[in-house]
Amino acid sequence: MTQWVVELRDVQKTYQTGQVGVPALRDIGLRVAAGEFLAIAGPSGSGKTTLLNIIGGLDQADSGEVWVAGKNIRRLSAGALARLRLQRLGFVFQAYNLLPVLTALENAEFTLLLQGVPARRRREKVQKLFSEIGLAGLEDRRPAQLSGGQQQRVAVARAMITEPALILADEPTANLDSATAVALLDVMEQLNQTHGTTFVFSTHDPRVMERARRLIRLRDGQVVSDEKPHQSDGLTRQYGATS
Amino acid sequence: MAEVVFLAKLGWRNLWRHSRRTLLTALAFGLGLALLLISLGLLDGDHEQRIANRTRLVAGHVVVQAQGYQDTLSQKLLLSSRVVTATAESLKVGTLHPALGGVSPRLIASGLLSSAANASGVSILGVIPEKEKAFFLIPHRIVEGSYLDDEKATGIVIGAELARKLKVRVGSKVVLMAQAVRQSDAAAANDSGGELQSTLLRVVGIFRTGMLVVDMYVVHLPLAATQTLLGVPNQVTQVAIFLERESDSPIVARHLRSQLTGVPVEILTWQESLERMAQMIWLEDLFNNVIGGILLVMVGLGVLNTMLMAVLERRYELGVCAALGLRPGQLAGMIMCESLALGLISIAFGLVLGLGVHYHFATTGLDLRWFFDTDLRAVQSVFDPILYSRLSLARITGSVGIVFLMGIVISFYPAFKAARTELPNALRVL
Repeated sequence: MTQWVVELRDVQKTYQTGQVGVPALRDIGLRVAAGEFLAIAGPSGSGKTTLLNIIGGLDQADSGEVWVAGKNIRRLSAGALARLRLQRLGFVFQAYNLLPVLTALENAEFTLLLQGVPARRRREKVQKLFSEIGLAGLEDRRPAQLSGGQQQRVAVARAMITEPALILADEPTANLDSATAVALLDVMEQLNQTHGTTFVFSTHDPRVMERARRLIRLRDGQVVSDEKPHQSDGLTRQYGATS
Repeated sequence: MAEVVFLAKLGWRNLWRHSRRTLLTALAFGLGLALLLISLGLLDGDHEQRIANRTRLVAGHVVVQAQGYQDTLSQKLLLSSRVVTATAESLKVGTLHPALGGVSPRLIASGLLSSAANASGVSILGVIPEKEKAFFLIPHRIVEGSYLDDEKATGIVIGAELARKLKVRVGSKVVLMAQAVRQSDAAAANDSGGELQSTLLRVVGIFRTGMLVVDMYVVHLPLAATQTLLGVPNQVTQVAIFLERESDSPIVARHLRSQLTGVPVEILTWQESLERMAQMIWLEDLFNNVIGGILLVMVGLGVLNTMLMAVLERRYELGVCAALGLRPGQLAGMIMCESLALGLISIAFGLVLGLGVHYHFATTGLDLRWFFDTDLRAVQSVFDPILYSRLSLARITGSVGIVFLMGIVISFYPAFKAARTELPNALRVL
């Protein structure tokens, strides 16, 4: 039986702008299986970020059901939601969002520390992951001393370090040049394949769309297509949009 | 624990992202503490000097006198030598002895002092010169001649204002007239006063305390001569007790009350015998605390503003922390750690500055003659022109505690704001 990391049923979200309601998501139904490398594409205002925020528990849907890592997150308290984010989810933001006062290593171990992992174990894990993604030797640098690509890799390491069920990345390559963007995608794809971590991106970057093994297109808050450009990949045999 | 240390580290580093702002804020808050310490030091120093001067001028830290004397000031209310001895013996009992400075019996009466030129009503203090010299102020304020001693049995010491009025100086003869306390049988029968007695004395010393009422009306003469004049051999009005520490007064008074049960005496601490001054000091303390409180609140509002700014400008960052799984309590804790660190830096600043200035004023003193050049004769207190700052450890820890507590209270609102970081709104700032 397929293990769904994410399952959305009839999800709706409307933002109020003054007295006018602006629909952001309409009747979204979506299932994401463990180990997928999925991109959500669409023009600005199509609802990509809203969808990621709702999956990540950063925003609440107006109606419908949102199941993430086996939990109906619409029914979780703020504390339980924070715990879910800490233990089962990883986030990569467009603007890197590393804490400027922490070193690369401290940023990466941030979530492990909050989970109560002992210092020695944290350092070991970060060192190992940094070696894997080409950040070895940069552990003691502050974000301001790193390039954009390096910062984003630290952000990916921070998201990966707790071995979450799902990593949500909101336009992770938007601020990177082509070569750095490709290098980052290589890192994420490698982590997806070696660790089996599920990645869901929002993007309008064709390079990301090309690398995705499943591509969902949104327009005006609705899913308009759900493609599988890399059918040969064994990791994504079981998935599908339910709407 | 590791989490708390990490949040504290994060708070500390965040503090130094804007080092100039942090330093200025800490300096402002520290200045508040420093001003509080300086003002408390000067006020406590002033109080200590005033209490010391007044107790050395009047009746010591604790006074034992006949029941009812405090209210009536009747010179008929006297203590026998037995009570004086019992008082001195009581003070040797138990653990009080180290706190004791000394004991001085005194006989107080009113009289009329006349010279060839003039006459004036006076307050007569019959004293034992050696004890008076050891504990009381007037022997140390002699400006002409010398104080009484055992060889000057007919000597009298008077104030400078009185000397001016009577047109006398050291060596001049004066006549002291007083109503005898011991009545003749006829006088006792109709309850009239004792007979008028007079004695010829020679001025041996003139003092100036700077307190008009003392310099004009107080005269000192040997206890034996006073007892003879008033016809009350071996009797005194009061026993003045001096202590090493003024704060021991209530303990000593309590001890004496327990020891002298059944004896018709009243035992008063200086706060009770000098009630007006004690109340004045209490009021001044209160007023200073109110002013200090207002000062700290004003500075505190500045700190609150800084902390709030720090939270609001890091709204996005707090949003990221929340998104990563930091719970509201942890977000608040992070800000409180930051605020706490700022408070500790402020306290360090305040202590260095406040104690530095206090040390200067405690050793060199604040010369009040910089501010005025007239004496304050009308002030109902002996006035020292150089004010020495005094700060007890309790005052320092109390002030630091208040500032620390205030730092914590101030951090509540910014911490609350941080805890209320709303997702995903906080992540929409950029």
